[in-house]
Amino acid sequence: MRVWSKPARAVLTFAGAGLGAGTLAFLAALFLHVAPENALSREYRVELNAVVYPEFEQNWQLFAPDPLQREVTVFARVQTIADDGRITTRDWRSLTAGDLAAIRHDPAPSHLDQNLLRRAWDFYATTHPDGDGPSAGGSRGRLAEEYLKRIALQRIGFGGERVLQVQLRADTRAVAPPAWSDEQVDTSPHARELPWWPVQDEDRRGLS
Amino acid sequence: MRFEALRAALPRLLTTLAPHQAAAVRIGVAGTWGAYLLREWPNRRLLYGDRSPWSAELNDRLLAETHAFTALSWSDGRGWFEAVYLLALVSAAALALGWRTRASAVVFALTVLSLQNRNVLVGDGGDNLVHLLAIYLVFTRCGAVWSLDARRRARRPAPDPDAWSEPRALADALAAMLHNCAMLVIAVQVVLVYATAGWYKVQGARWQDGTAVHYPLHLASFTPWPGLSALLGGSLLVTFLLSYGTVLAQVGFPFALASRRLKNVLLVLMGAEHLAIAVVLGLPFFSMAMLSADAVFWPTGALVAVERALTGRRRKSR
Repeated sequence: MRVWSKPARAVLTFAGAGLGAGTLAFLAALFLHVAPENALSREYRVELNAVVYPEFEQNWQLFAPDPLQREVTVFARVQTIADDGRITTRDWRSLTAGDLAAIRHDPAPSHLDQNLLRRAWDFYATTHPDGDGPSAGGSRGRLAEEYLKRIALQRIGFGGERVLQVQLRADTRAVAPPAWSDEQVDTSPHARELPWWPVQDEDRRGLS
Repeated sequence: MRFEALRAALPRLLTTLAPHQAAAVRIGVAGTWGAYLLREWPNRRLLYGDRSPWSAELNDRLLAETHAFTALSWSDGRGWFEAVYLLALVSAAALALGWRTRASAVVFALTVLSLQNRNVLVGDGGDNLVHLLAIYLVFTRCGAVWSLDARRRARRPAPDPDAWSEPRALADALAAMLHNCAMLVIAVQVVLVYATAGWYKVQGARWQDGTAVHYPLHLASFTPWPGLSALLGGSLLVTFLLSYGTVLAQVGFPFALASRRLKNVLLVLMGAEHLAIAVVLGLPFFSMAMLSADAVFWPTGALVAVERALTGRRRKSR
């Protein structure tokens, strides 16, 4: 076994103490981040966020505290204007249906079909807890609105006419409890209709 | 007496611990992300590139708040995007094979961050885990075994470490210490994943009433094989056992680490559950990421046995 010189031992001790302390501090920060909000994490909120965000975020609650129990189907419709100035409001089209058809019988479903629209809607819903008005949502909410608008524009065709406005709607339906459960759950869809959003040329940049 | 034992253990911290586990995590994580990138090849521009509804402009506004790293914000051009995507694929392959492992690990981590932070809104828990492990792996010596690097070293006989000059030995010991800290971080990270998942489930009404597993089996986004899902979710007993078993295993995992045998039993059970999730819920990359992370806790004996089985078969086939 190697016998270290005194300066080498000093370097090793110093580095070991530093690495050990740094590792423990990092792990403590991760722990406090995933733990329920508590006195310690409130006290050191700023320091904890500096460690965890943006690259060490933890989100392990996919199926907790309860699994997803609602099926959300997102629809969109557009209002178009023809060359002669005639304005047409088109029928609602399901944006979700194509995703589900693609997932069916695919052993490795794409994030495009499994996550993109689902998480975009979640993003909108969490940034708009109190409604859909023009001032609701803040800066994150604005991002969610533009994102949803672009998803809708990308997924629906409109016969070559210029699109004036787009509107989204989400139908949320509770998954029925198991057959053996005597729980009564309302499984009829509940619609959330968003306001019409005007469409500019720059909203469609890169989509085709 | 106990102090003496501790003192005797200290020099071990200057050596590279758990090299097989580090290699298994490396191969698993790089393989998972590489397979994912291949799967998404036809969709890459819609997910992370110039055709994404999450436009570069929208993402720039988010990055201004989060300050996350992505090399894709340096240029919106398609050429740059394709280059980064290809580099991501190549670095995943290089890391899985252990070619210039440390450099590959750095490029791999940078490309993982670049793609994921270009669009954080398409990922799931598996992507989150790959993101974290990619960063941690940079600090490990994950190419010490089962790598092209290790094969090259074995071919070229190196001088005995005891004959190294002191600065050389010191650098080696510091790198080993860093590796050991990173391996501890990976291990604790895995414990945090299971513990949080479990402890939050304990509070959920559906996990308490034993019907939780029924719900994902009836969500269209997670039922690529509806017949299979209906078969699995159709039985009261199976649904109850899977729901309670999942919570018990996840909550108990941190404590099971005190017992080698119990830990290994839980690893097998949770590995089996992740294989089932991969098929039934259509989440193969999520499951592969979880299995790769689990590898940090696999016993060395089992890992070496797998190696022997694989290399033994290869020799026979020659």
